[in-house]
Order: sequence, then structure tokens, then C-alpha cells
Amino acid sequence: MEYWKDETEPIKAFLELFRRAQDDPELAQGLRKVNQLIWFDYTEDGSNCSFHVDSRKDPMVIAQGKPSDEPDLIMSLSADDAHRSWSNKLNPVMAITRRKIRVKGSATGLLKLVPKLKKVAIIYNQVLKDMGWEDKILN
Amino acid sequence: MWGNTGRIIDIDLTTGAVDIFSPPESYYRKYIGGSGLAAKLFWERGDFSADPLSPEALLIFTLGPFAGLRLSGASRGCAAGCSPLTGHWGDSSCGGYFAPELRYAGYDGIMIKGKSDRPTLITIFDEEIQLKSAKEYWGKDILETTASLRKEYGRDSRMLAIGPAGENLVRYASILNEGHHAFGRAGFGAVMGSKNLKAIVVRGTRRELMLRDAYSFNNLRRELNKKIKEALPSTVLHENGTAANLEGGVHTGDVPVRNFQSNFWEEMAEALTGSTLTEKYLTNHGQCAFCGVACKRVVEIKEGSFAVPKGPGPEYETIVGFGSLLGSMDLAATCKAGRLCNEFGMDTITAGCTIAWATEAFKKGALTLDDTEGMSLEWGDMHTVIDSLLPMIAYRRGNLGRLLADGSVAASLILGKGSEKYVVHSKGLEVPMHDPRGGGHGLALAYAISHRGACHVAYPMLFMEMGACYYPEIDFEYELEPMTEEYKAETGCIAVALGSIENSACYCQFADREISVPEWVGLFNTVAGYNWDVDDMMRAGRRVFYLHRLLNHRYGLSASDDCVSERLLQPAVDGAPEGIEIRFTGMKDKFYQLMGLDPDKGIPSKQVLVEHDMAEEFGKLESTLKS
Repeated sequence: MEYWKDETEPIKAFLELFRRAQDDPELAQGLRKVNQLIWFDYTEDGSNCSFHVDSRKDPMVIAQGKPSDEPDLIMSLSADDAHRSWSNKLNPVMAITRRKIRVKGSATGLLKLVPKLKKVAIIYNQVLKDMGWEDKILN
Repeated sequence: MWGNTGRIIDIDLTTGAVDIFSPPESYYRKYIGGSGLAAKLFWERGDFSADPLSPEALLIFTLGPFAGLRLSGASRGCAAGCSPLTGHWGDSSCGGYFAPELRYAGYDGIMIKGKSDRPTLITIFDEEIQLKSAKEYWGKDILETTASLRKEYGRDSRMLAIGPAGENLVRYASILNEGHHAFGRAGFGAVMGSKNLKAIVVRGTRRELMLRDAYSFNNLRRELNKKIKEALPSTVLHENGTAANLEGGVHTGDVPVRNFQSNFWEEMAEALTGSTLTEKYLTNHGQCAFCGVACKRVVEIKEGSFAVPKGPGPEYETIVGFGSLLGSMDLAATCKAGRLCNEFGMDTITAGCTIAWATEAFKKGALTLDDTEGMSLEWGDMHTVIDSLLPMIAYRRGNLGRLLADGSVAASLILGKGSEKYVVHSKGLEVPMHDPRGGGHGLALAYAISHRGACHVAYPMLFMEMGACYYPEIDFEYELEPMTEEYKAETGCIAVALGSIENSACYCQFADREISVPEWVGLFNTVAGYNWDVDDMMRAGRRVFYLHRLLNHRYGLSASDDCVSERLLQPAVDGAPEGIEIRFTGMKDKFYQLMGLDPDKGIPSKQVLVEHDMAEEFGKLESTLKS
């Protein structure tokens, strides 16, 4: 991995990102509209390197690892590309076309989140800063 | 001959003569089929001096080599000729069920000239081709006509029909297959109307097609059908139709608002996007023949002033054309307007753009209450659009109906008073619902160089800029940034070849994104036996592009016509592209240089033509120009 020391680092950052996103009314509403159980699968970088978000539930469930229920959507990619993605430095369409992101299931809900990636990146950069990982911020 | 049948129906409606023409095999190998084959047929047989609505005008329908095969995306056909809207070469693509049926009847296309002295219907049942009276259908709308023809000729017959707009020579009249799938652009419905040709009905029984290598093709077909159906874009298109990403487009500034005056309207995004249409009005998914994607919408709106009975629903272009482009975010109104355009037989893009132009002209004082016979044109007033303007246009009623029936470019030239500045077009064809300022700067180049005028499907530039294409075998590995001109000329060179291949193969722009370049070559070789390698195929694509240039040169077009309206070259005033200018001239100059186009005439040099095995075409051009 180019950006991460081990498989725990990215998950720590991404979980915190999603927790904070819930505090933002616009992003929270956007996530709620997705209304899916999504598994973000980065296991190509380690068997524990994944987390899931269940926006069908209130409050939303954000937790490490594979969900016990069958996910509506699985997004598989490397932890480095996930870092680029949350930093809004990865064109998701291009990444899917070039098989950097493999998607299984309905991506309709996720499409609604794409326009909000710019805002997600602002929060993500703040998360990295607060965790003392300013060197990981992509400019 | 493999894949193709080598037989084209040749009809003279004036004399009633019906013949079968067998083009040389080289036409197919050199120009593929569809858009390319039609161009070659017109190049050899067309009358360039004929008014497109005169009896001398030649209307051509052509198929690609894959029509009739059980392959997702392969069921499209091409209509071509001189466009009555633009006055130069144009073609239009339509999915549905007509193309496979024509192939099963044993043909690769139909050429129609002349004018019948009465409303006429062509029936094609294998070898039996007849001209019949269409008196009972004339004046009926397309949906009624289609239903009546189906009753008369059976549900296993397939048909093309025009509506009142075609009969009344509205210059952007469309032709519909099964009342759902449209040859929308460039006005070929008016050409049919000018010939008193109401409909074409076809039924074929020869479903076993001759393929060069059926075993290999079937293996490839199974792989491709699976890949196309399971691809992420296909699942998104299936769920929410072609407007699935409208919301995303609003945020990049791709979706035009109020006649391209604005690039951002946040509240509209969710109101009009594909998932909203699915949630509120979708009753069924529709599809073209053999397609596993099934992106078509069938909708029903049970109540309200824009109620519509269950039937074909709007695509992205219609939703935006009768939505944000007119300052409306009423999704039901877009369904109703789309339904009316289907009934009348009118292109929803040009209809929406022409009304948007008129509204802006009215708001800015160029079009007055005198011109509109007392009718106010306001942004978002969909009742006026639906109850008054669309019927007035389709039946050419009143001064305003007659003015708008010729499209926004002609209307602005008649009206004057600065209203020309409000027209958004290229080469006389109104711009579709993707604003290059937000959709991608290369799209401005693609609109400008397209043979038929502003078109987002002539070449896959839109997809290439958004990142949906990756073709390492032909050196397309660019990671493009949509809102710059970087690598757009180079991308344009690849796009014109790929787009010409796709439109000549009559393939769906969505399904074909999943087909790799080697798989394309495999399809052509196993079906048609062209025995191509990648270079041969790309050369054929460029050859079609060059022939389109020669055709338009014969119509008097030159390099200066490869442009887009000034409005699209002004920086956007809001949204993501705010303040960013498209550096159009640099892109165009570089594209011209890379493609070997003459900077004044806009046509390829003799050397380029010879390199593309087009010496014969060059000779004909030279002798014609001398004479």
C-alpha cells in the first residue's frame, strides 16, 4: 500500500469519515436516501480491511468488516484507491471502466452520492488532519 | 455474402417501380453498413441539387451487419439523406424492432425516391413488396396508426410510421418504430411526408442468417450478452433509464437550464432524475430486440393536468428538453410532452430547443405578442407548451406554429432582431441536452465536426471524457479532465473512427461501451467475414468519417461550418463550469491537422483519401467540382 502502514489505518480513517458525515445534514440526508447495506471491500489489502454502512437503519450502522446480512451493494477496490476516492482524486467512472473499482449490486443509490464527493473530501481531509495524518492529504 | 444479404430495396414512389439493387461487396467492406453504407449509396446515386422535400430527394434506410442477431445492442437501423432541417447530409439512428425484421425479410436497406400521388404505405413481406393506399391512416397520429397497422397486418409485423408533423412537413418530424423507438433527429419524418409515404410495414421469415463463422460468433455473442447485461452502467440504465445520472450531470454543469443560459439548478436535479421517474411513474421496462439492458421506460400518470395513459416514457433528452431547458422541473409535464411528440412525430430535442429559443426571444422582446398572436411565453409554463405550442407546430397552425415548425435556426433568421444570438446549434441542428461547458470541452469539438450537426451520439466523446472508455489496443488510455482541451483533439481522432464504426454497425451507444476493440473486430470477422485486424477496422471508421465530409462538401459546407453557437463558447455563469472558457479554436485546429483536413475546405487531402482506399471518391469529387 502506498498510503497506509497496515490494514487497520484506512479502516480507522474511513469509519471516522462516515461518522462525521452523519453530522453534516446534507450528507446525512444523502446517505439516508441511498437506503442500502453497502460493503466497502478492500480485502485485497488484508482480510480485515473492509467496513460496511447500513443506511436502511436508523440510526445508521457504520462498522468494520463484512456485514452479516447480504449486502445490496459491494464495492471492491484497493485501500489506496479508496483513499484517492474519498479525497475526490479518483474519477469513479474511469475507475470502474478500468476495473479499479468492481461493483456488485445496484449502484443507483450511490449515484446520488457522487455529486457530494467534493464535500466528502473536505471532511475526509479534516479527519486525516485530526488523526495526525496530514502527510496523507492529497492535494 | 455473410451477415449482410447484399440486397437493397429500390422504390420510386412516382412511378410505383420496385426493384432490388445489389451493391458491390466493396461498399460493405469499405463502409461497414448503416451510416457508412447510406453515405456511399447517396454518394453514388443521390441528387445533391434536390430540395430535401422534393420528389427527387433520396431517403435511405440501412442496416448494419449485425441486425437480426440475438445480440444486445445490435438491433438499430439508420435513416439518411439530405436533412430538411439543416439542408445538408444527415442521418439518424433508431432502435426497436424494425431493423431485425427487415433483415429477416432478406434486405440490408431501402432506398426511396419520388412522390406518390396519394397517401401510401409500403409493405414488405419477404419477396412481396407492395405499395398500398394509406388514405385511411393519413391524418392519424403515430400511436393510432401503429395500432391500426398492427391490427391489419398482425402483431408479428413491424412498422415505421410518421404522424401529423411529418405530413405537415415540420422540418424536425420524426419516424417512429412501434410507436416508441424514434429516428428522431434531422427531420426524415418530413421527407416521408413530402413523398406521401405514411408508413412502412415489414415481416420476414428468414430468421436463419448466413454468418461467416457461426460457431465462433455464438461463443462471442454469449460472452458479450452476459458482459453487457451484468455491466454496472447496464444495471443503472435498466433501473432508471437514460436519465439515471441526470442528478450527477446537474452537479457537473452538463444539464442545460433555460435555453443554455444557466448550468445549475439544484432543486431540479432530484425532481427530474431517472430514479424519480422510476419511483413515480414507471410501470414497465421496455427494450429493443434481443437487448438484455432494457433501458426503455413505460410510464403511466393516472391523474393531474399532465395525466398520460400507459405507454412509452421519456428518455433523458426529452426529460431535459421539456424540463430544465424550458425552466420547468415538472416531471409529469415531460412525460406528457414526450407522449405528444410521439403522437405527432416530432424530435423532442429540436422541439424543446425551438420552444426554448422562442421563450428567450419573447422574454427579451425579440418575439412580441403580435408575433405570438397574444400568447405569453414564460419559463416553466408547461401548459402553454403542451396545450398550445406543440399542436400548433405539428399542424403548422398560425404564424407562430409555422415559424417554429422550421426549427430555431430558420425561425431566428426570419425573426431577426438579435434572436439569432439565442439559437444554440451546430450546422443547423439544435444542440442536445449536454452542455459542453459542463459535460466536457471535447464535446464542443464533437458537436462542431459532426456531419449532421450538433450530435452527442455521432462520436462517443461524451463517454470518453467522463471516463467510460478504455481502449489500450488503439492507444486510448488518456485520463481526460472534462473541463480542459488537453488531449481532446487526439481523442477526437479516435472518437470519429469509433463513432463511425458504431453508427455504421448500427450499434447501441450504451451496449457498445462494454465491447472491447478486439471483440469488435471479432464480431465483424465472424459475422461478415471482413477478415479485419484492428487497423483495418479503425481505417474503415475513418473512411466513413471522411465520406461524410465529402458529402457535406458537395452540399457547400466548409471548415467554417465546423463550429458551435457563440453561447456555448462563452464561460458559464454558474455551476461547476462557472467562468471556464472552452478553447475551441485550438482543439479544432489540432484535430484538423491530425486528421489531414484542409483548413479551409474541411475535407481530407488527396493523400489521406488515397491512404484510406478512397481514390475513386476523390476522382468523383474532382470531376464533379470541375463540371
